[in-house]
Amino acid sequence: MVRINFNRLRFLVIDDNAHMRRILRTLLHGFGTREVYEAEDGAAGLEAFTHYMPDIVLTDWVMPIFDGLELAQMIRQPGANSNPYVPIIMLSGHSEKKRVVSARDAGITEFLAKPISAKALYERVLNVVANPRPFIKTKTYFGPDRRRNVNPNYVGPERRKGGKTDVIRQQPLLDKVVS
Amino acid sequence: MAPSPKNSAPSVATFADHEVITPPNKLRKALAPATDPKDDPLARAEAALAQLSSEFTGWMHAECERLEAARQQMKRIGFTEQTYGELFRACHDIKGEAVTFGFPSVSGAAESLWRLLEHTPDMTRIPQALIDQHVDAVRAIVRENARPDIAGVAETLTRRLREVTDEFLRLENRDRPDYLESIFAPPLSPSGA
Repeated sequence: MVRINFNRLRFLVIDDNAHMRRILRTLLHGFGTREVYEAEDGAAGLEAFTHYMPDIVLTDWVMPIFDGLELAQMIRQPGANSNPYVPIIMLSGHSEKKRVVSARDAGITEFLAKPISAKALYERVLNVVANPRPFIKTKTYFGPDRRRNVNPNYVGPERRKGGKTDVIRQQPLLDKVVS
Repeated sequence: MAPSPKNSAPSVATFADHEVITPPNKLRKALAPATDPKDDPLARAEAALAQLSSEFTGWMHAECERLEAARQQMKRIGFTEQTYGELFRACHDIKGEAVTFGFPSVSGAAESLWRLLEHTPDMTRIPQALIDQHVDAVRAIVRENARPDIAGVAETLTRRLREVTDEFLRLENRDRPDYLESIFAPPLSPSGA
């Protein structure tokens, strides 16, 4: 069995709703996190990201000034900050396919649909810590590998050229810690 | 001890039209074997949330007041980016918080208002009466949440709001069938619960 040492992780919570920030802070403190920083809009979130260098970012989608999607795109700009690889977990009450795909294409690492539960949040954090995905850089995208699985029945075009078209599998850290 | 430079640089594999970049996993530091069977962070978090829940009713009423204030502002000033944004964020937040705050019956009405605002191409064409019906429904459902039959009442209200809203959205989006198809497609992501 393996566990997460939440007191070794620094979180940044970005949400314009004070109640939601309080809920997330409560859950994270309950998990054992000591460092939880907050911001109430995308602009303050970007500043806080640069200042506090969090290990994981939790962001809402709909926010004033600029939203979670725009924030993710700014964080993912290669060369724009010290950690474009930071795991970004987007919380949203919207789970329409169009929205989920947009979030994925903006470079979100994990998507967590509301209503939020302690279990779902814990699982998303565990996933980003124990199963980090490599990053893909193309002319139009920079972010976590959007392919999670290999579909043996896929018959569509292969958009990546140049070989190694499989999902890049890394040994999950859970296995490494146990072994 | 600080990581050596060779451990802190990501490895890069270059292909014809893409690169695969594997950054060092700095979060590995947070993984450890579980040695104490009584250590249950999930249970602790859930207990903390349960303790916080005594404030949820007050929070939901505050969100309803915010929604009402946004509606009144829109009535006074009309549709502007600011009034639209306030109303949009107010109903969006109620939708997202309803279940967590113990008001599951109101999420449908809040979502219907959000859909109306999100998917109408020209916001000035949204009938004020339709907005009023949504806001009034949300406030009524929250107010009557303790009623034993509230789920059924809310479902009836929400179904009717949704029917009227869907009809309006189909009309307003008749020139963009692809967009129409996307907004009526089933949701993709499972809920967080």
